[in-house]
Amino acid sequence: MGRYILKRFLEGIVTLWLITLAVFFVLRLGGGNPVEYMLPPEATQADVAALTKAYGFDKPLIEQYYIFNKNLLQGDLGTALAWDKRPTVEVVWQRVPATLQLTTASMVLAVVIGVVIGAISASRPDSLFDKVGKVSAIIGQSMPVFWVGLLLILIFSVYLNWLPSAGGVDRLGWKGIIMPATSLGFFLIASHMRIVRSTMLEVMESDYIKLVRAKGLPTRMVIWKHAFKNASIPVFTLFFVNFAALVSGAVVTETIFSWPGIGRLLVDSLILRDYPTTQTVILFASAFIVFINILVDVMYAWLDPRIRVS
Amino acid sequence: MFSLVFLTIALICALFAPIIAPHSPIETNPTNILKPPSITSGNLLGTDNQGRDLLSRLIYGAQTSVMIGVLSVLLAATVGTVIGLVSGVYRGWVDRILMRVTDGFLALPYLMVALTAVALLGSSVINVILVIGLLRWMGFARVLRGEVLKLIEMDFVRLALASGASRTRIMITHVFPNITNTLLVLATLEIGLAVIVEASLSFLGLGVPRPMPSWGSMLRDSQLYIYLTWWFPIIPGIAITLLVMSANLTGDWLRDRLDPTRRQL
Repeated sequence: MGRYILKRFLEGIVTLWLITLAVFFVLRLGGGNPVEYMLPPEATQADVAALTKAYGFDKPLIEQYYIFNKNLLQGDLGTALAWDKRPTVEVVWQRVPATLQLTTASMVLAVVIGVVIGAISASRPDSLFDKVGKVSAIIGQSMPVFWVGLLLILIFSVYLNWLPSAGGVDRLGWKGIIMPATSLGFFLIASHMRIVRSTMLEVMESDYIKLVRAKGLPTRMVIWKHAFKNASIPVFTLFFVNFAALVSGAVVTETIFSWPGIGRLLVDSLILRDYPTTQTVILFASAFIVFINILVDVMYAWLDPRIRVS
Repeated sequence: MFSLVFLTIALICALFAPIIAPHSPIETNPTNILKPPSITSGNLLGTDNQGRDLLSRLIYGAQTSVMIGVLSVLLAATVGTVIGLVSGVYRGWVDRILMRVTDGFLALPYLMVALTAVALLGSSVINVILVIGLLRWMGFARVLRGEVLKLIEMDFVRLALASGASRTRIMITHVFPNITNTLLVLATLEIGLAVIVEASLSFLGLGVPRPMPSWGSMLRDSQLYIYLTWWFPIIPGIAITLLVMSANLTGDWLRDRLDPTRRQL
């Protein structure tokens, strides 16, 4: 087990290193001199030259890459152009808790609602409840995150005036997280419902469920105590697979609801042309996804010994 | 059924937008802004904040969505197929490197990267297609590689190998024709996602350049007027949802249709 964890961990580091390589070259080769992107169009030639020198963009690419890696190892990802010229790592780190609050809340919401509806649907296949659930899941999976957000604002802020449409938890308390978390977790509710329903139906057909049913156990016990346990493995996979999608979705959700997380920071940094901050946000988000992936693999290996060997 | 009908409608809108649309999608009319939908006024679905006819923008928006959706998926499918095929047929260190690269791409927060890339390259239809296509090929590569690995163990491929066919030949004439069904299903399902990504980019102001109509940028405009108009934020959203849903349902249907073992389920 220890060896497996180490192996996955090393692979994760290689993946992350590949990402830093990609970010480094794409930002330099794709956009020409990054300084021209960072400065407003009316900047003078002297400004461009000064900033180019300050960021070391005039040095050969290999040397730049060496410095980039050296700084990276020391946890230095440059200083922001906006945000009081603080180190970008500090600026991004400050925004991480808000994004974690939002993603965790929407995950919890999606799992709880998705699992409950999915399990009830599976226990009464082809009932009205099941049919309504199925149709809503199909629609739910097709709605873009930002439209769900707009609809929620339209209903709960504009018409009912129940919930605030902007701000973070610090300013608004728990009321502020309801709409952002729902809009971000909406498509996940649908996918959890579908996967729970289909795996539960599969499990319900298995011999051991037939046995406990034959023993005369009440249906509710059969579902929650026996079937659900075995149906929870795919749910678990889905949970983590979706984290990457959530981090992406957070960009849109945080923008609509003025949520002070890293998604909004990214959009702001793009508007302000703060290239070092953009780079750090992307590296942070990638590192987070890589870490989650390793966690999933290790937990899998722990649950299922066959994976460890292959 | 429903999904095919809607896909056809979207396709017709996309192809014949100039004929179908009752008004110009970009012509503004300051005296006729934020009008609610009505049958009598000539603006069936109302007008936006600049007095542009929403129905016309919706029809032209279908053009944008369908074009970007299809072309970016075509690009993603091409890249993904080549990587999946090469990985599965050649195996060894080629496979290891390609799969590592695939993992790297999978670990990218794609919307963040897409936004940044479009911001750096400048927003244009071509750039949006390139960015979406080059960030979404990993699914194709992963799934197709799995299929190839299964196929390569089969007798007809072994026979071809034994009779001296080169790996490239096997890849093109023996393996590829057998993965086209999977490819088609994946591509259909991926179109829905590409449409959502394009709409998200446009919603954030970094998709197709203005004043070109896109459902995403229509929703972006509507956000400012959400306290005044209920129809403005609702109408483009319905269009996106229907298009994505149709693509998803068609993909599911194709999968069941092309794979006899799933037909009973």
